[in-house]
Amino acid sequence: MSILIDQNTAMIVQGITGKEGGRAAQEMAAYGSLVLAGVTPGKGGQTSAGGLPVFDSVREARECFPEISMSLVAVPAPFVFDAVAEALYYGIKLINILAEKVPVSATVKMIALARFYKAIIIGPSSVGIISPGKAKLGSIGSSGMARTVFSPGPVGVISKSGGMTSEISKVLTDAGWGQSTALGIGGDILVCSDFVDVASQFEQDKETKAIVIFGEIGGTYEEKLADAMQNKTITKPVVALIAGQFADYLPPDTVLGHAGAIVSQGRGSAVSKINALRQAGALIAETPEDIPVLLTKVL
Amino acid sequence: MKLLEHEGKKILARYGVTVPVSALVQADTMSVVLPYPLVLKSQVPVGNRKQAGGIVMVEQAEQFVPSRDKLFQTNINGHLPQCLLAEALIKAQAEHYVSFCYNTDTQSPALMLNKDGGTGISQARIFSVDILLGVENFFVRNALAQAGMPTSAELIAVIKKLWNIFSAERALLVEINPLFQTEAGEFIAGDAKIILDDAVVDPIARSFLNLAGDIGILASGGGASMLNIDILARAGGRAANYVEYSGNPPASIVKELTRTVLSKPNLRGCWVIGGTANFTDIYETMLGFAEGLRELQPKPTFPIVVRRDGPRQAEAFAMLRQVAADEGYNLHLFGPEISMAESARKLLLLINKV
Repeated sequence: MSILIDQNTAMIVQGITGKEGGRAAQEMAAYGSLVLAGVTPGKGGQTSAGGLPVFDSVREARECFPEISMSLVAVPAPFVFDAVAEALYYGIKLINILAEKVPVSATVKMIALARFYKAIIIGPSSVGIISPGKAKLGSIGSSGMARTVFSPGPVGVISKSGGMTSEISKVLTDAGWGQSTALGIGGDILVCSDFVDVASQFEQDKETKAIVIFGEIGGTYEEKLADAMQNKTITKPVVALIAGQFADYLPPDTVLGHAGAIVSQGRGSAVSKINALRQAGALIAETPEDIPVLLTKVL
Repeated sequence: MKLLEHEGKKILARYGVTVPVSALVQADTMSVVLPYPLVLKSQVPVGNRKQAGGIVMVEQAEQFVPSRDKLFQTNINGHLPQCLLAEALIKAQAEHYVSFCYNTDTQSPALMLNKDGGTGISQARIFSVDILLGVENFFVRNALAQAGMPTSAELIAVIKKLWNIFSAERALLVEINPLFQTEAGEFIAGDAKIILDDAVVDPIARSFLNLAGDIGILASGGGASMLNIDILARAGGRAANYVEYSGNPPASIVKELTRTVLSKPNLRGCWVIGGTANFTDIYETMLGFAEGLRELQPKPTFPIVVRRDGPRQAEAFAMLRQVAADEGYNLHLFGPEISMAESARKLLLLINKV
């Protein structure tokens, strides 16, 4: 098993006639994903670079392919909210947002809408989702990297960083640990699905035996995962790699990213995250190479 | 983007929040048309200005120029002001804390309140905003009551105006601290801290930070960047900078960043570090790096360690090898056969050999 996507997940790509969207659609299909169509308003009737039908709207795409359940939103940041709203309105329950620099004001609305429509949104700034050997979505593992970096297995990988999703998966694969699913949740101030949301999916998945997370300073998503481990919502072993300890030694008022603009109330630093996770029973890695070593202790 | 106090107060005033009568003071401003005593405030983008000597009371007109000069020379956490704000003194009966920001715990905006101003976000009470409902009277009334603050129509109006700013300006933080309450029951913003969303106002902004060390770092992606500064520190090295270029940057951007990072004086090494890229064109990235290197004067002699993997890596490394041979750079290339941490140790060994 895996979470979110497998070889039977019928997908569309919104923004398929753009550079990122077109490339992602072709690479997804090449990996075995069931990509059925693309959507670009005004380009309906065309055929995408990879030979897929292009529709003007999600509505028309779903009329033609009612089995579509997932959309990769590969449109530029200013158009993301409209594309996501359209996907939700026409019944798509799983959405992955590729674009970076989506305004937080748009993300917070998408979070509320996802709850209302009982849908799952991964992103913004998500590198994508891969269930190795089955399907991938987004730009994760492009140019044939997918087959050397990722392999099927028992480890769920959740990362705020796209590059580190792959680096960690490669280290795991090299050490003989495959992944059930690996995904980037994005490193924005607010993301639509946080560590707990995704870890809860892994918790339900029979194949996943352990969860690896890559976290960064800022926000409280890592601390929330620690809380979920404390209250037994998450019971599977967790190995965490948290970046940004150096920031604790910077002069006060130095803000990396947007850490200063969100409620933290004493949390949010690398040390706070590491302590919270350690107290909740997570094993803390200092480098990607530590992760397989720590996994052998819990599996 | 963090606004200065006077910029923030302009926005507050535009949305109908009362701010003190004020005048902007330049280095050559000789006087202001305000009643004395007045308050003179250094316009720097940092908190705790009062403790750092950035806010002074000016009792009478004769003290204006010396106070002005002193403030322009007072460095506050690394910042010297470009201008000062002179404001009428407000007689306050109470000082409160109010702000709107985002909360990752609840995945929503939050109203933060404290009946005692001067405190920060870390001590305020948090009230989650349901984005579908917005900020209605009932919500503000209940929050104020729970925070022990007056539930007057005037204060409710101020908070709803703050919410208007937060949502219409798509801000990340709108904070008034202190919010003065006068004897007449008026509310006046004593300070303004507004952070706008870079995704809205400056979408091509790149995060760059000077650090105290002597190893220039070009890391791809924010995550790898932060992690590798930690890894370098553990190996005994010190990063000269934090920078991130994420996504699939064109060569021109990498070239510019290379020049920025490596033109810092007294560098002892350069570390081009990244994990296994998903879609970043490594050749394009390294082309930008090579072009940036070539433009550096004097020509760098310190060791350069590159550790990177991803699409078109082989082509990229062949090109770099040629450039290094032509220019005589002390360049060392590694792929995924060694870890990021190991490449840090190799760089430090090379530096210590020099």
